[in-house]
Order: sequence, then C-alpha cells, then structure tokens
Amino acid sequence: MVQAKAQRESSPLLSVRNLRTSFQVEGRWTRVLNDVSFEIGNRQTLAVVGESGSGKSVTAMSIMRLLPPATSRIEGEVLFRGRDLLKLPSEEMRRIRGSDIAMIFQETSLNPVYTIGFHMVETLRQHRNLSAAEARREAVALLDKVRIPSAASRLDDYAHQFSGGMRQRVMIAIALACNPKLLIADEPTTALDVTIQAQILQTLRDLQAEEDMSILFITHDMGVVAEMSDRTIVMYHGDAVEEGETRRIFAAPGAPYTRSLLAAVPRLGEMAESPGPSRFPVIDRATGAVVTPAASGSVPDGSAPIVLQVEDLVKRFDIHGGTFGGLTGRVHAVEKVSFDIREGETLSLVGESGCGKSTTGRTIMGLTSPTGGSVRMEGREIGSLGRRELRMTRRRMQMIFQDPISSLNARMTVGAAIAEPFLVHKLGGKAQARDKVAYLLERVGLRPDMANRYPHEFSGGQRQRISLARALILDPKLIIADESVSALDVSVKAQVINLMLDLQSQLKLSYLFISHDMAVVERVSHRVAVMYLGEIVEIGARAAVFGNPQHPYTRKLLSAVPVADPDQRGQRRVEAGELKSPVRAVDFVPPGREYREVSAGHWVQLADNRSW
Amino acid sequence: MILWLLKRLLQAVLVMVAMSIIVFVGLNVIGNPVDILISPDADQAERLRVIAELGLDQPLVWQYVGFLKAALHGDLGNSYVFNQPALQVILQRMPATLELAVIAVGFAALVGLPLGLYAGLRSESWLAKFLMAGSILGFSLPTFWIGLMLIMVFAVQLGWLPSGGRGETASLFGLQWSFLTADGWRHLLLPALNLSLFKMALIMRLTRAGVREVLPQDYIRYARARGLTERRVISLHVLKNIMIPVVTVIGIEFGSVIAFSVVTETIFAWPGMGKLIIDSINVLDRPIIVAYLLLIVVVFVWINFAVDVVYTLLDPRVRLGEKGSAR
Repeated sequence: MVQAKAQRESSPLLSVRNLRTSFQVEGRWTRVLNDVSFEIGNRQTLAVVGESGSGKSVTAMSIMRLLPPATSRIEGEVLFRGRDLLKLPSEEMRRIRGSDIAMIFQETSLNPVYTIGFHMVETLRQHRNLSAAEARREAVALLDKVRIPSAASRLDDYAHQFSGGMRQRVMIAIALACNPKLLIADEPTTALDVTIQAQILQTLRDLQAEEDMSILFITHDMGVVAEMSDRTIVMYHGDAVEEGETRRIFAAPGAPYTRSLLAAVPRLGEMAESPGPSRFPVIDRATGAVVTPAASGSVPDGSAPIVLQVEDLVKRFDIHGGTFGGLTGRVHAVEKVSFDIREGETLSLVGESGCGKSTTGRTIMGLTSPTGGSVRMEGREIGSLGRRELRMTRRRMQMIFQDPISSLNARMTVGAAIAEPFLVHKLGGKAQARDKVAYLLERVGLRPDMANRYPHEFSGGQRQRISLARALILDPKLIIADESVSALDVSVKAQVINLMLDLQSQLKLSYLFISHDMAVVERVSHRVAVMYLGEIVEIGARAAVFGNPQHPYTRKLLSAVPVADPDQRGQRRVEAGELKSPVRAVDFVPPGREYREVSAGHWVQLADNRSW
Repeated sequence: MILWLLKRLLQAVLVMVAMSIIVFVGLNVIGNPVDILISPDADQAERLRVIAELGLDQPLVWQYVGFLKAALHGDLGNSYVFNQPALQVILQRMPATLELAVIAVGFAALVGLPLGLYAGLRSESWLAKFLMAGSILGFSLPTFWIGLMLIMVFAVQLGWLPSGGRGETASLFGLQWSFLTADGWRHLLLPALNLSLFKMALIMRLTRAGVREVLPQDYIRYARARGLTERRVISLHVLKNIMIPVVTVIGIEFGSVIAFSVVTETIFAWPGMGKLIIDSINVLDRPIIVAYLLLIVVVFVWINFAVDVVYTLLDPRVRLGEKGSAR
C-alpha cells in the first residue's frame, strides 16, 4: 500500500508511449502521428513545438480523446496517473476532461452567445457538486485568482466585451476550476500582442507554482518555448524528431531539423554588432549541414536619394453613435507621423495592435485618404497629383499583405494575377507580360511553368512569393510590406525574408516593413520607428533603437518579447496593463510633441505624464 | 431601444400609407365595382344613386383623402357586399386563419428542428440522407396537390378525418376557435399538416446546415474539452448558435401563412381570411381588400419586431438601434 503510493509519487504524471494517430481521409487511413512517446513529471512543463502540420495539436487532441471517433484512430498508451486513458470508457474519460486534465486554446474559443459566468458555472457544476450560488461564488474567486479586476461584476459579461488578454485569463480561470493536475495549453498566446503575451505567460508560471500542476504547452514559437518549458519535444511531419531538456536543445540541438528550425528563429539582440539587415543561415533539414551561412546586407549611405518622405501625416476616423447617430468621437489612428526612406533602405514600423502602423501604410498607399499632412514619393507630392500622374506614381510603390490567400483571386491563374497590374498600366503587350511573369517567378524562387496554376495549389510561403512577384512587375522603388511574413511558419518566414533581402540588394528596393514582431524587425531593418497610439515615439537606426532604447514604451515592448534563449528566462517581469485605445472625444486636440535627438538620427519623443 | 421602437413604428406607418396608395390606384385601374354590384337592368338613376352612395363619384384623390380621414378614426369603410364594417368582416374570419397558422408553423418547428439536428449530427447515416432527400419533396411538391392527396387518403379512402370545414368551435375572448374542441382538432389536422410540410423541410435543412457549420467551431471543441456531457454541448452550445436563421425563417413563414394560406383554405373549405380575400377580389369589394392588406402589413411589422427582439435574446452581440459604432 505504502509502496504503491510511493511509486505513484515517483512515476511521471503523464506518460505517452508509442502514440499513433490516423485519420480517415476519403476512405483511406492516413497516419498523422508516428509512435510519439514522452513523459511529463509533476510540476513540469513540457513544450511541444513544431510548424503547421507537424502533429502537435493532434497529439493533445489524442491524449484528450477529442478527435471525432468515426474518422480517427488512436493507438498506443496514454498513462495518466497510472491509468491508460485510451482504454477508459468514454463516460469516465469525459469526467477527466476539464477536471484532472484541463485545456486552454486560443482566446477566441469562448462561446459568443453565453456569458463567461455561464461558462464557469457550467464547468464547475459539471465536475463538482455545487449549488448554483456556490458555483457563482467560486467563479468570482477564480477570476480573482487570475487577476481580473472587479471580478464579480464581470461575470455576466460576454466574451466580446473583454480584451484578448482578459479572455485568455478567463479561460485560464475556467481551467483552474477543478484543480487540474495537468494543463494542456494549445497555442494560447498566438494571437495576442507581445506585452499581453508576456503577462499571460507570467500568469501561467505563477499559477503553476501555486496550483502544483504540470503543463503541456503547444506552440510554434521558439521564444515562448525558451521562456516556459523544462523539457521540449520537437515535432516534424508527425514524428517526434527530438526530445530533451529545453536548455540542452537550444544549446546543442541534435536532430538536423531542430538545427534548421533554430537557425530560422530570429533572436532579439543577436544583431547588435551589424548595422544592416542580415540573411538567415540556410540549413539542410535532412543532414543539418549549413548550406549558406548568414550574411549581412548592404547599408545605403547618406547620399542615397530619398524615395519616400512622409511629413506630419494624420488620419482620423469619425465614430458615429448615440441617439441621433451624431459624431461621438474620433479614432486618432495616425497622429503627426513623419519619416523618410532612402533608396535601398528598410524602415520598419513596429507597435502593437491599434497603434496605427497598418493605417499609416494604407494611407501612404492612398487606400484611405489622409486627414492631413503630406506624402512625397520621389519628390512628388501625392495629394497634389492629377489622376494620371497619381497612377504613374502608384506604380512606383506597391503593397503586399499578410494573407496572400485573400489578396490573390482564387479563380485566376497566378500568371494572370501577376501580369494584371502590368496590363492595367499598359506597360506592354501580352507576350511581354508573359515573359516578364516567367522572369519574375524565377526571380522569387519559383518555376516559370507555375504561372498556369491556381493560388490554392501553392503553400503559404509560395503564395507570399507570388505576391512579391506581382508587386515587382511594375518595377517599384518602394514596397510596403504589411505583416507580410507574420502568418508564415518559422522556416518559411526565414526563406521569404532572405528573398526580400536579396531583392533589395539586387534591385535597390526600399521597404516600409510593418510588423509587430520585434525579432524579425531587428533582423530586416536599417531603421526602426516605434509607434504607440498613432504616434511615433522613437525612431532611429535599428542598432541605436534596439541597443539604446530611450522611450519607456520601446523598453516595455523590447522586454516583453520572448527570447529564444532559455538562459535569459525570468530576468524580466512585465507589469500588468491593457493596451490603450486611440479613441478620443470630438473636441480632443492632440498635444504638441517634442523630440530629442539622442544620437545622430535617433529621435525620441519627450515623455509626458502618461504611464507606460 | 425606445428610439429604435419609434423608428420601427414610423417605418410601419409609411409602409401602410404606401400600401394603401398602391392598392387604391391599382384597384381603380382594374375595374368599376358598380358594374358588378348593380344588376345589369338597373336604370341610370339607380346607378348614379349607388355610385354617389359609395362615394365613387368623387375624384380618386378625394376618395383617398376621405379614406385616410376615416381610417384615422378607425373606420376602414363598409364592405360593399356584406354591408358591414370591413374590419369587422375580416376580424370575424381571423381566428380561423390564426389558429391554422400557429398550429402549422408550430408543427413545422417541432418536427423540423429535431430532424434537422439529427441530420446535422449524424450526417453520414442513411436515415439522415433519407431525410434530406425527403425534404426536397417537401419543397417541390405543390401544396394543392398534397392537399388533394391528403383528402383522398385520409378523408375519402380511410375515412379517418373530415375533408373540410372548421368543425365544432368554442368561444374564447368572444371569438370562435376550433382548437378548443376535439372535433375542431380533427378538422384542423389535415390543413395544418398540408401547410406545414414546406416549412418543415425548410427548417430541417436550415437546422442541418447550421449544425454542420457550428460543430467544427472552437467553442464546441472547447466545451467538450471542459468535460461537458455531449447532451449539454448539443442542447446548449450548438442549439443556441443555430437559432438565428431558424427564428428568422419561422417569423417570415408565420407571416406568409397568415397572409397567403389561400390555396389550403380553399381546398379544405376553411373559412379563413384567405378565402375571404379571394372572394372580395372577385367582386372588387374595395374596402375589404384595402383593410385586409393593411392588416397584413401590421402583422408583418409585428412579426419582424418580435424576431428582432428574439435576436437580441439569442445573440448578445446584436444590439438594436445601433449602427456604425466603432469596432
């Protein structure tokens, strides 16, 4: 008896052996997990990391037996506290879900038509013998535990009335409802801003210590892995290619795939020495050998001509509402933004959601008309141009978006899609267009014969290459890249960035690179502008801004980025706080801002009394 | 909310005014009711006397203004045929149509929803496929044909149910209702079934489509991951999310049954409003037609209003009377 108890103490909480999952696709069984085995000890955190399609989510769903039984088959053993979950009757398995093993997903997973209190009470009462009133009291206590302010009054609010970070806190509170021994977190912070992500990760770490639970953390983000996990398992195409202590995996990756993955991860701070952007090293996935080493790009000198000049750009959106639909406020999306970009230079706009970085890009492109200020493209003021001249100028700048699926017409071959702007601008005949499309496809690393295919036949990374080719067909000087690589897997992201850097040095392109990802920005930019609530709070050479951040917001942003280095873990603490809103009253007059020059070309907004 | 209500009311009044103008002008074009009302051998003096009595000697505009004035006092004119206030004639027939509509739509919802739910949850089973195939028949077979078949099978061949009429009625709120007596129910069954088949098929298909759409959602996976029973997941988390389109269709169909149950009422000799309006059009009984159409507008406005209110109960993200607020 005593012996058995002692054995349970020492044996791992969860032990997965030879987990094999197959899906039935069009009548045929296809294996998606190949003999995955791992263990999680008490109070341990195991990260499952991999790119899309690697089987990391399927692993979690298999453990929980949440896959549709008719079209999936799970084999192997999942021992949870000594019992094989795969052999339990389904009713007993249901009782384990949400109580002994809790799960959290992306924060959008709350049912939109029920209050969060409803979610909490139903979970509590499903597993614990509580009256409705007791369950409500318990729910308030749980919300307090995850630090949701004025918990009692928010119980009857719906998910859409919370911010993303708060929603994720609610989900964590629900997960804690029955004191789970194991928490499975499936990409819980993927859609959150960095500062909010840092807070959520902090909360999870704190609660893990308090609640004495183990965590299985599924993510694609190596930075989050380094931040959170004791042990890591790297997945690739349904195989666990490497498993071990997180520190060891980062320091000395064994499997070739892990090596290629880590090589593609930008690490904040690694660029301190070089002034220009730098290519990612390319590592062969099969052998682990370095194919092309990292290489620095060129830095345009001060004599290079200025391509784009933005001065005091302002964009406001009116909000109508109230009883008579009158003007009730304004979104100050972009407020007196000024910068310029030289030939062959990359300026990055960074900031969190709602900071106005995308609106700035769209306003420069003329997709929305500015409220004030001036935009000069190669010396020509865009606002003063006539229709024809505007069309001519438009050719000189092109935009690529985050989601190439929705920006490419599904019913048009990619060849036709790339040629379209060329023909619309009447730059040549069809034969010329065809030749140029073939040339450009080759240029972006695709084959010319792919022109006859349709967008859905390409992967996400290839589609982004096609978007680039389409932008390049007009021979632009400037490309505005709005979160263009954000949705791509790490290794694909590295390839597309390498391509963009190559094109820049060959064609002397200028980029306005809009991104929320600080690590990528550090990798690709010559200069950086940090935006907050529509204003640029700091701008300067990339090395200066990252190496010597002056503005409190820049510092906060930098400290929130998860660093893909386990040795730097836990050195920073992020204070709680929500993103502020740029909505202002109708009569709001933006205060005048003053900037101080820290070093040559490195300007910082003089801090006012706002708290950061 | 109150402002939204007022807006709604104003819209309703405008629709009613527009409706009455269209009807007035339209009817004037169709023909002269005097030709139908007066026997052909009446002399000219008699003819002029009737025309003056009905107010048909006035120009159309004045006729309309007179109608509006009276309407504001709740008087929609007297029926040329029944010589009673038009509104009263219609309201006498209304209970018959109302009870038929409520029972038909209720029946469609009570059968269509569970079947649709089943077909959505077990979409691969042969029963689900059979149901979906059957629902196509429900759409495509014409109502009058199904009505005739029902009469032939259940009334003529089997003799189980009567073929027409309202049967025994009982009084409630001073109106006569069939659903209060057993005999009334026997009479109601066939016409109600006939009316509900189309709607049943519609609700079933909508429910199925909704279930197929909701099941892969994150919040369903999350509900299961929280260890909720499958019954709870379906009856609370799935059902509430698919109700918006279903409620919309139930509302529209309810209105259309009240307004356009003419065919069924005729086949089953059901003395409802549908039969009345057809008769009135035949004899160009203008006040009845105008009053009827205005009443139908009121009915639709109220149904839409009710549906909108139900929306807000179903989905908290729907807010009445707000537009264009930021994000």
